[in-house]
Amino acid sequence: MCGIMGYSGHRRASEVLVEGLKRLEYRGYDSAGVAMVENGRLAMVKRQGELDVLQGALPRLEGRTGIGHTRWATCGRPSDRNAHPFLSCDGKLAIVHNGIIENHSTLRKRLEAEGHHFTSETDTEVVVHLLEGHFRGDLRQAMADTLKEIKGTYAIAAVLEGSEEIVAARKENPLVIGLGVQENFLASDVTALLSYTNKVLYVMDGETVSLTPNGVAIFDSEGAQVKREPSLVSWSAEDAQKGGFEHFMLKEIFEGPNAIHNTLLGALDLIENGEVLPRTDFQSVKLVACGSSYHAAMVGKYAMEEFAGVPTTLELASEYRYSPGARETPLVILITQSGETADTLAAAREARRRGCHTLAVTNVVGSTITREVDEVLYTRAGPEIGVAATKTFLTQLVAMYLVAIRIGYGNGTLSHASMRSALSSLRQSSNMVQSVLNRTHSIEEASRMLDRAGHCFFIGRNINYPTMLEGALKLKEISYIHAEGFAAGELKHGPLALLDATTPVIAVAIKGDHTYEKMLANISEVAARDSPVLGIGVEGDTDLGRLCERMIAIQPVEPVFSPLPVTVALQALAYYVARRRGCSIDKPKNLAKSVTVE
Amino acid sequence: MKAVVLAAGEGNRLRPFTVSRPKVMIPIGNRPILEYVVRALASNGITDIILVVGYMKERIMSFFGNGARFGVQISYAIQEKQLGTAHAALAVRDQVQEEFIMVAGDNIIDAQAIADLLGHGDGMAMLVTESEMPSKYGVVHIEGGRVVDIIEKPDKKVGNIINTGIYRLPPSIFDHLEKGVMAGRSGITHVLHGCLPKIKMEAVRSTGRWMDAVYPWDLVRLNEYAFSMAGQETSGTIEAGVTMRGPVRVGAGSRIRAGCYIEGPVSIGEGCEIGPYVTIFPTSSIGNGVNIAPFTTIDSSIIMNNVSIGSHSHISRAVIDDGCRIMTGLSAPSGLAQVKVEDDFFKVERAGSMVGEFTQIGPRVVLSAGAIVGANCRVGDGAKVSGTLEDRSIVV
Repeated sequence: MCGIMGYSGHRRASEVLVEGLKRLEYRGYDSAGVAMVENGRLAMVKRQGELDVLQGALPRLEGRTGIGHTRWATCGRPSDRNAHPFLSCDGKLAIVHNGIIENHSTLRKRLEAEGHHFTSETDTEVVVHLLEGHFRGDLRQAMADTLKEIKGTYAIAAVLEGSEEIVAARKENPLVIGLGVQENFLASDVTALLSYTNKVLYVMDGETVSLTPNGVAIFDSEGAQVKREPSLVSWSAEDAQKGGFEHFMLKEIFEGPNAIHNTLLGALDLIENGEVLPRTDFQSVKLVACGSSYHAAMVGKYAMEEFAGVPTTLELASEYRYSPGARETPLVILITQSGETADTLAAAREARRRGCHTLAVTNVVGSTITREVDEVLYTRAGPEIGVAATKTFLTQLVAMYLVAIRIGYGNGTLSHASMRSALSSLRQSSNMVQSVLNRTHSIEEASRMLDRAGHCFFIGRNINYPTMLEGALKLKEISYIHAEGFAAGELKHGPLALLDATTPVIAVAIKGDHTYEKMLANISEVAARDSPVLGIGVEGDTDLGRLCERMIAIQPVEPVFSPLPVTVALQALAYYVARRRGCSIDKPKNLAKSVTVE
Repeated sequence: MKAVVLAAGEGNRLRPFTVSRPKVMIPIGNRPILEYVVRALASNGITDIILVVGYMKERIMSFFGNGARFGVQISYAIQEKQLGTAHAALAVRDQVQEEFIMVAGDNIIDAQAIADLLGHGDGMAMLVTESEMPSKYGVVHIEGGRVVDIIEKPDKKVGNIINTGIYRLPPSIFDHLEKGVMAGRSGITHVLHGCLPKIKMEAVRSTGRWMDAVYPWDLVRLNEYAFSMAGQETSGTIEAGVTMRGPVRVGAGSRIRAGCYIEGPVSIGEGCEIGPYVTIFPTSSIGNGVNIAPFTTIDSSIIMNNVSIGSHSHISRAVIDDGCRIMTGLSAPSGLAQVKVEDDFFKVERAGSMVGEFTQIGPRVVLSAGAIVGANCRVGDGAKVSGTLEDRSIVV
């Protein structure tokens, strides 16, 4: 989600813009830029990377009117060129945009034929050229004429050289105006305005705005001026971003179903039409990742073997890059949420050096990894603020299933009908996850079993073995309880010695899975050592229920897809345990969101 | 001016559709009921909105967030236990210092309804409207433009002007509400009723839209009236040989296969797989990720998210909740039916069937007109269901 900021007043615009954009960081971004009216001419600076990079590149600018933007790439990779703002050919107009211009390619062809010169790969740039074409001295009129030609969604802000006016418009993207004394602001979110003013005007769909230091005028789509009373904002910036939730982590857990839905929307056609992995005749597959992504890769291994029958191996990125190259050229799939994980990037280079075909799975469009590999499959979880990966992990699982189904159909393991049916089950999974979230009160209750424990064990078999490793990781990350995941069959080879009445065990057993009976046997062994067992199983499973002190129920599900609902239950469990213990949930000690060092 | 929207209750007469969502989040025309309310407020420039949430509050919070998507600023007040609307309203006491608007979040309203209330001078006011079924609501007596009496759910006919649950109120109302709650009065109207002799409450007639669903079959009617879209707006893939008439909306990533006949108004969500050869008749809404197999007919129904419907099925005036799986040959006609809800019997014309979330229905099943199937039920091959099935029932 991009962020927009605009200012016209008596302060140095560059400072206000950068400060405001920093408040919009939570929306996620990969590049940033500002443009302002400096001595009557437009000055523009834009940079890929963090706002600090932009700030470092900014000369001391005195301009008092300007616009700024943080970009989250959707059309065109992150780069200095693709960052906003964009200038018209004559350099007299600049714009920033948030949203998608659907008919940009048609418009671009026409504008290029008319002699306009394009400097980027973005959909946005057509807007500034259209605006230039329509400009006859009245910027707002030019904007109104431009909007008639574009299809899509937008929040747009524009400035003109030698003028104190900012013109803006919105359709299905947020835009809010902040009112000051002899100064006015606009932004994607009130968060960016709260350090300056709490008096705001909301812009509605289809409206255009003219903003100067002395006043703000709003016009409806017919051009008639709209009268609107300002609202007073009463909450703090951080509350604004959390939308009612106590922590980002909880908010993001609840965004899981939507993240899955969006990932599928972005990928189903690519998978069905073979646009991802047009070639599927690989002898083997190697999955390479770090941290939580590695657990997603482990689930991927089971999925790959189940749907595609391809021998699949796993490697930690930090190990793979230093490993001796074996005599094989598998398909190498690299999984990194941020696309910037240093070890995974190095592993991608190593895989290509070894002559392997490479596919990256990442949540960040145009991140570094996308330039190091042959193909990319995007998860579409949206920005994640909480350090503990939640919705991004779920979408990585979805990506694993998609790739496995694609390879399985491509190499003939799955018939067309079984491919369709697998994809249809996958589509149901967002609902399975929603259903777990509908019953978080039972998970909150269950968290009482763990909040005083010194140690916890997570056990599972088959495709839910990695799910439990991830469950243990989540718990230790945010609640600081020592937690370990084990393949249930390994219990007898050591860990069983550690069990007693003070060590809770979390166990998953999915009715219908071929290891279900074995799991029940393992749970009995645990219960016999007096360890309190928290079971996760299918609703109405009384056999499991009898063995456990408490049970978290999920909807009946095809076992292969059960990691999705089970994971979300474990994420919620970790959250509620940490909350009970009063931990700093969104920023656990010693941890960072993206590990860009080796 | 601030608006306080009451959205904390379950709406249990709408079960099974409130098993895992509050009534305000039931989709009508593919949007939650509460979205109509928020948009009606926003169109009147009321952008400072406090939602009082409680039952399944996360569903509301994760949908509306901070309101930026709707051009408003939303904050939340939590009513931990659902002890009635008067108690719910008290949850915002610290956040409201000036005159404010209070709206029930579970009725569909349009911008005009709010405009009527705003356009009518100052002071305490209640928005009232005519109803064909006054016995379900609070009937108001008006004298000289003032509300002088409210009779909750009258047994006999005492008038047809009812309270819409939309008010303009001063902050001093909280004192009355608190006293009322202490005296054991749980509903706002109940409290107001007690104060009416002392307070001056104007009655404002609504010329806008105000619609309510009390029982599950009302949702179908609501869906009919709520469709106010015009023109076609289609994304996704529409294969050649699909006929679409009237306003039809198709969301991103949906695929409508050849031979489908869709007569609008119809709204189809994102990522659906429809057809080939499926017929959809007017005022149907289909959610996200829905599969409908060939030769199936859907008429005036609400199909929620991730439902899959087998081939050769006939579904009329039904409401089917999230995640239901229906095999081939379901026959779910509508007709006159006697329906039982909470020990009361209702005679309902053109009643379809109501199916709760995650229910699985085997091949060749017949759901009689007015059948209510709970959530998580399993109905076996060839079964015939009439009347009401509790949640988690198994029919063999």
